[in-house]
Amino acid sequence: MKLSYIIREGIIGIKRSRMPFMISVFSVTIALLIVGLGVLAVDNSLQFIGEFQADYDLEIFLENEATTFEKTELAAIVKDYPGIFRMDYLSKEDAAALYNAEFGEDVLSLLDDNPLPSSFRITFEDDHRSADYILTFIQNMNELDGVDEVIFKKDLFNRVQGIMQLVYTVATITLFLIILSTVFLTANNLRLMILARYEFIETVRLLGASDFLVKAPFFLEGGILGFLGASLSVLLIILAEYGIKYYVHLDLPVKIIDHPEVILGLILFGVSLSSLGVLKAVRKMLRFVA
Amino acid sequence: MIRFDKVFLRYDTGISLRDLNFTIDKDEFVYLYGDSGSGKSSILKMIYMDMFPNAGTVDVLGADSSNIKRRDIAMIRQKIGMVFQDFHLLSDRDIYSNIALPLEIQGAKADEVRSKVTSKADELGIRSRLSHYPHELSAGEQQRVALARAIVNSPDILLADEPIAHLDAKAAADVVRYIWKIHDAGTSVVFATHNETLLKKDPARTMTLVSGEVVKDRQL
Repeated sequence: MKLSYIIREGIIGIKRSRMPFMISVFSVTIALLIVGLGVLAVDNSLQFIGEFQADYDLEIFLENEATTFEKTELAAIVKDYPGIFRMDYLSKEDAAALYNAEFGEDVLSLLDDNPLPSSFRITFEDDHRSADYILTFIQNMNELDGVDEVIFKKDLFNRVQGIMQLVYTVATITLFLIILSTVFLTANNLRLMILARYEFIETVRLLGASDFLVKAPFFLEGGILGFLGASLSVLLIILAEYGIKYYVHLDLPVKIIDHPEVILGLILFGVSLSSLGVLKAVRKMLRFVA
Repeated sequence: MIRFDKVFLRYDTGISLRDLNFTIDKDEFVYLYGDSGSGKSSILKMIYMDMFPNAGTVDVLGADSSNIKRRDIAMIRQKIGMVFQDFHLLSDRDIYSNIALPLEIQGAKADEVRSKVTSKADELGIRSRLSHYPHELSAGEQQRVALARAIVNSPDILLADEPIAHLDAKAAADVVRYIWKIHDAGTSVVFATHNETLLKKDPARTMTLVSGEVVKDRQL
């Protein structure tokens, strides 16, 4: 019965303070909309910048004299090297075909023999993609038999990595500040909502309600409030993505609808922000109610 | 049932209660009589553990003010009914919901809530007002609603803090009559008042307070 009291009081609370409740839902929606759009903007920016990078990080050219056995051994060594995300082998024929595609001329018709070497194209995992790590990798590769040369466009790599790092740092700080102000503004708004319910809190305490029984309906109310606010913000973000696609003709590489974990994260953030914010406000008020 | 032992209380405002020593037994009816500021309300607040003495102890239904935990205060309050001069009704709930609140807090079943609320409403003559809101009722009716709420869970003690201060003579007489009826049914009553006529009309044990001291404890 006490559970039914908690549920009923939570719902009654929403009905009886419709306007402050709606204002709080709206404030949570706005707050999470800013957070959600911020996260998406950062992810999309990083994707756009990342596109300036080559499809691979570096290319290991093999000696023309390298035997199939040596190539197989090399491939095994490279593949097992820590931090390698992807490795593609390009045979001499593949290289000739690429030359043909890029310059429109058949290298075999210019020269009798195919002078282009076979190679491995290497892509590193994100957490190993640093110039220092790659340079060490190059040093190790140069010591192996069968390796002719390792080509790494360090300047371009460094520039793109630098920009990405800068964007990431600025975005993280900005998002942190946004989340902080979101928490502060929402908590303040919730405090005002709870303040309007002082009469109820004082009365039920006098009638023998424990602190838990006072807080629980508000906690539930906060959860519902956060869920509605967060769901509304997710809906608005999805609409914004469709708007960008159909009116700006830009298909964003990262979309919230493709990332249920982000949707879930936003909803969980909204629910916890509101329910804990409400709980904190009630707890504060209970200090003044004996 | 209620015992004040060498109780001292000092407020920020400077008014204080000094050396209170008294016991209120089961089934007693006690008036706390005195002017405004004499300390009547503070004694009631110490009984329902809204205030705690600076020295001495207040024992209520076996709970000691000097070591009571916050969650136990809620339990004690479930055994104490309270009525105030300003009624303390929830303005956004109908009369039924106001009276039902203590039972719901205690986790009573819906059937039990319904039968007890209607029975108390009948006793206090407010059955026809159950679907109304507090602002639609007269002051006398509101105080009867507060009384119904205070006794709906059959408390051991009823505390009344100037319950007739804002009522006309007729409504006040009704409320006093109901409180005596509640007492006759076996509930201890502590009634704070500054109304001397009341003491003469419905005499009972009277503790007279002057500036925070019990200057007279007249037993019947």
